[in-house]
Amino acid sequence: MADQVFTSGQILTAAQMTALQANSGLVYIKTQTIGSAVSTVNVTSAFSATFDAYKIVVTGGTPSANGNMRLVLGASVTGYYAARNGITWSTGLRSDGVDNNAAIWAAVGTAQTNGLAAEITIINPGLAKYTTIAGAYNNDTASVVYSGTHQVATAYTDFTLSPSSGTWTGGTVIVYGYRLS
Amino acid sequence: MIKPNIQIDDAVREMTDDEYNALLASGWTETASDDLAG
Repeated sequence: MADQVFTSGQILTAAQMTALQANSGLVYIKTQTIGSAVSTVNVTSAFSATFDAYKIVVTGGTPSANGNMRLVLGASVTGYYAARNGITWSTGLRSDGVDNNAAIWAAVGTAQTNGLAAEITIINPGLAKYTTIAGAYNNDTASVVYSGTHQVATAYTDFTLSPSSGTWTGGTVIVYGYRLS
Repeated sequence: MIKPNIQIDDAVREMTDDEYNALLASGWTETASDDLAG
């Protein structure tokens, strides 16, 4: 519905607040604080049939080593496809990577010793359909864009993030759903 | 060596041998990787 107009000092009704909530685009689902010296972080109850699409944002923390952030859905260890195109800033040279029916999405964000960073859009993980994923990240020297799919038509409720190298201490994983209506 | 930890929601514990072997099989390395795009 159209945006509501409020006036200073106005007492808002339940109906107005309900409409305001219904108009929000992203719906907060959960936050997971990352523990100490972990190499896998399983986030449960993140996906459901309530939403088709989600945003996962990962920030902060102190990785022990530079590397990439990886992701799997539930306990699935097959059917991951993706292409990543990276360009190093100083040289303009490309560094690409693919997952071809892999056991994991090998890079969906970055883990640098100065912190974690990921902004992941993921579609259909909570539905018994193929899941698609897309995003972008950069390490300390280059930028990467990627998209991919998980070609297993299963609904998942949880996902697991892990570093390609080392461990993570601290940081935050936040999951939002895209409201359907 | 001390195995890294596994976290499930807020519970953090050291990996079992099987979990650690699975982590190694996934391509995980203890030291830094400069593989930009995986």
